[in-house]
Amino acid sequence: MVSPSLVLIALVALYPIIYAVWLSLHQYSLIEAGLTRWAEPSSPFGNYTEALWGADSSQFWTATRITFTFTIVSVFFELVIGLAMAMAMHAAFKGQGILRTVILVPWAVLTVVTAITWQTIFEPELGFVNTMLGAVGLPSNTVWLGEEPQALIVMIIADVWKTAPFMALLILAGLQVIPGEIYEAGKVDGASAWQRFQKLTLPLLMPAILVALIFRTLDALRIFDLPWVLTKGAHGTETLSLISYQTFQQNRLVGEGSALAVLTFVIVMAVSFLYIRFIGGNLRTMAEE
Amino acid sequence: MEAASVPATVERAGTKAKQRRSTGQGTPWWLWVAVFAIVVFCLFPFYWLLNTSLKTGPDLSTSALLPPSPTLDNYQSIFNDSNFTTALKNSAIVALVTTALSLIVGSFCAYALARLRMRRKFLILAIVLSISTFPQIAIAAPIFKLWRDVGLYDTIPGLVIPYLTFALPLTIYILTSFFKEIPRDLEEAALVDGATNFEAFRKVVVPLAAPGLATAGILTFIAAWNEFLLAITLTSSTSARTVPAAIAFFTGSTQFEQPLGTISAASVVISIPLILLVLFFQKRIVAGLTAGAVKG
Amino acid sequence: MRGNRHVAIWLGCVVLMGGSVAACGSDDGGGGGSGGGGTQGTGSTSGAKVIDPASMDSAKGEVTYCTGKDTSGAQKESVKLFNEANKSKGLSAKLLEFPESADEQRNQFVQRQEAKSGECDIFYSDVIWTAEFASQDWLYDMTPYTESRKAEFIPATFDTVNYEGKTWGVPKQSDAAFLYYRTDQVDSPPTTWQEVYDIAAQNDGIVYQGAAYEGLTCDFLEIAFAAGGKVLSDDGKTAEFDSPENLKALQFMVDGINDGAAKKSVTTYMEEQARRAFEAGRATFERNWPYAYAIGKDNKDAPEFEVMPFPDFEGGGKAGILGGHNIVISAFSKNPGGALALTDFLTSEEAITRDAADYSLAPVLESVYDDPAVQKAMPFAAELKQAIAQAKSRPVSPVYTQISQAIYKNVNAALSGQSSPEEALKTGQSEMEKALATF
Repeated sequence: MVSPSLVLIALVALYPIIYAVWLSLHQYSLIEAGLTRWAEPSSPFGNYTEALWGADSSQFWTATRITFTFTIVSVFFELVIGLAMAMAMHAAFKGQGILRTVILVPWAVLTVVTAITWQTIFEPELGFVNTMLGAVGLPSNTVWLGEEPQALIVMIIADVWKTAPFMALLILAGLQVIPGEIYEAGKVDGASAWQRFQKLTLPLLMPAILVALIFRTLDALRIFDLPWVLTKGAHGTETLSLISYQTFQQNRLVGEGSALAVLTFVIVMAVSFLYIRFIGGNLRTMAEE
Repeated sequence: MEAASVPATVERAGTKAKQRRSTGQGTPWWLWVAVFAIVVFCLFPFYWLLNTSLKTGPDLSTSALLPPSPTLDNYQSIFNDSNFTTALKNSAIVALVTTALSLIVGSFCAYALARLRMRRKFLILAIVLSISTFPQIAIAAPIFKLWRDVGLYDTIPGLVIPYLTFALPLTIYILTSFFKEIPRDLEEAALVDGATNFEAFRKVVVPLAAPGLATAGILTFIAAWNEFLLAITLTSSTSARTVPAAIAFFTGSTQFEQPLGTISAASVVISIPLILLVLFFQKRIVAGLTAGAVKG
Repeated sequence: MRGNRHVAIWLGCVVLMGGSVAACGSDDGGGGGSGGGGTQGTGSTSGAKVIDPASMDSAKGEVTYCTGKDTSGAQKESVKLFNEANKSKGLSAKLLEFPESADEQRNQFVQRQEAKSGECDIFYSDVIWTAEFASQDWLYDMTPYTESRKAEFIPATFDTVNYEGKTWGVPKQSDAAFLYYRTDQVDSPPTTWQEVYDIAAQNDGIVYQGAAYEGLTCDFLEIAFAAGGKVLSDDGKTAEFDSPENLKALQFMVDGINDGAAKKSVTTYMEEQARRAFEAGRATFERNWPYAYAIGKDNKDAPEFEVMPFPDFEGGGKAGILGGHNIVISAFSKNPGGALALTDFLTSEEAITRDAADYSLAPVLESVYDDPAVQKAMPFAAELKQAIAQAKSRPVSPVYTQISQAIYKNVNAALSGQSSPEEALKTGQSEMEKALATF
């Protein structure tokens, strides 16, 4: 009963991927409209070599650098803020349900709308941020989305806002399962609050943290909506997904664009395999079952 | 933490929390500050959205914290727009169907995977998860072509099937780790009592895994509800268009005008079902994510 | 074990599917290839289908008119009138609306053409896309039809439908931008760009579209063309972007920001931000399309303003660039006769006059500007006519998107101080050369 549905899903999921890989081995020629031909008969991987070390490869490597910078910084902050939120949620018990719902509001808003809202908040003339800075006497005329690295900073802030709650929830779940006796024992042994946190809470939270990290990292590496709406990739916010969209959709260089998409996919897979090594313990026990 | 089943563990943690409560420890002041900070952090941009949705015309250019002349015009205009209300209906159908199918099919697969003796299982799971992470832009055009040829273009099933390609791997991943937590003895006891395999699954395993099902359900629902790229590629009329795509059609009176007021109003409106859903299921979410995340 | 068999079946199916799908994938591409090969030849458009003007006389059936969101209501009205007029012939039209954003409209049309779908019989195409679509053999060659009507149209608008010596569409709507200026701060319309910037520096500045997108290409080219610069050679095959005239223009704009004539924040502005800033009284001059006129006049808090066509550039001349839309017929249309009939209707003098008088859409026919109803509906009709007359079309090339990107990315980098004007032009030049090399 299940196999037919799985077959259908596999077909729909794999067909575009295989087609995209196939496309990436071709060069799209605009003069011979509609006809695709192999990129240099001797090297079907022409698009890849072009992207990785060709004349214009700086675009790919800049995008990779920006994407990784964005991912590392935003995931780090999401983790720290998410952890703090989770601890607060765990301790506060009055109105816990309402608090948890409030926390999920950022996550429920459409990404495109999030981007537009933050764009308005950071508007150079009338935006909230500059107005507040001016009121306090700080320099209030930074063109946030018009300068490097300010634009990337705004992007990170917007992303952290949207997904720290998601991390907070995953970590909260991990916190709930740690039995209270451990803390009692710790207190009895004379450990301070900070020591209890460091030696007891954190280690037991590692599995939850790792799961949260993998989901967030995979998403951050593929981010597209946010930079597209905020700056269209200008001023140091070009991410991998954005350059492959521009190449594939706007410039209609479907071969090169597909190659970029496949490269992005390979990077994402590599990172996820690295993570899975760490959570391997969890999954391997399932495998050993 | 071995033989104890998940629900019992969660119960114990809950009891401990209750005990802590009843020992009269008041909430320290710094906690209130933290909670306040969190609420402001989370709600401020959403407040901004709400704020904008209550403004029209030139007011939209100001950055006043409160709308100078609040009006429900934007809400009125989006609800008068039959395209928007139809889109709401479509979104609801697509999200519900995707979630239901994903849970049903996913739970069977997850059960099989959890109970199987198989080498390289974690590799398969990893690959299954990775497939759903292929950049969507490269996927949209081939599916468009395929759907046009097959006749599924601009239909609800035409959206549900691609949505399942990212919903299923996620559901399977979450549910597999859930099912694994449930000890086999319970099913074996049921089998001994004369139940069939399927009955054992239905009556013993599923109720115990309800938290996991709720979690996967909510994650899938939200993902399907908010999905934009495929929605705009695979629909061309109101027969299947969902709300995120419909918002792209919102218009000011000319090609260049950005109708911030109506977009904000629409965003608020479509966030409400999600918020209600979360409010209702949030207790389940916590328990659900627990079992999936933490090693038994 | 039952479980084992279960998964074995699953895995087996996945592998099988993978294999067969790969075969399907290559068939698809191969099929596409042979399809394309049929229209291959020397020059990218030889072998394109040519429209037969006579086919519209006996047309019947349904025609689909694809357009971006009909914000003004003009298209709906036209379609209604067309249907009424042609009911007896059994010919009818249907409107299919795409989202508002230009990018999205292009995506939707391109998607259908790539899939060789005849869903869109005609498309309301932005002027900058026509060459690209023509080079892909997605459009009908309209030369036999347009021959007889050429003289009616404003010449500049006709440039936008020309590619490789043939015409690929019919102009339907035009657009050219003006300079809006505050009458309380500016006594009389300045005569040169340099004067504009001087006055701006002494007052509240000028706002324009400086963000890294298509709008910046327009704004930059308006000044560059006026300074005598070019983007492509006349035959469209080589790039002439890195030139002394363009350098003068770019340096002028960069100096404008450094001197305070233009605020630094313009590098993030699109049309709406500029309009809002001007209406809030935060700028003396605004460069924007005519759409902002009516909104500005309706806004009671906006300062008193008027419009003027662009002035001269010292040492150069007057210029502008043309916006607007053309009607193109899809090569995959199943009803070319009907499509042509609808095109003819939509671009007739009646239709264009109605669009101008009732919906303020800038006309492409010279005669319409003198119509009193039009002049009443558009108080700026005279300025608009002048603006369109002095406007040039943006570079006509199948790789226009890449050329435009080369322009706006680099000009934006220069404006925000991230690169010098010389470097910006050099980089833009090499990017364009690379794009043109794909020919």
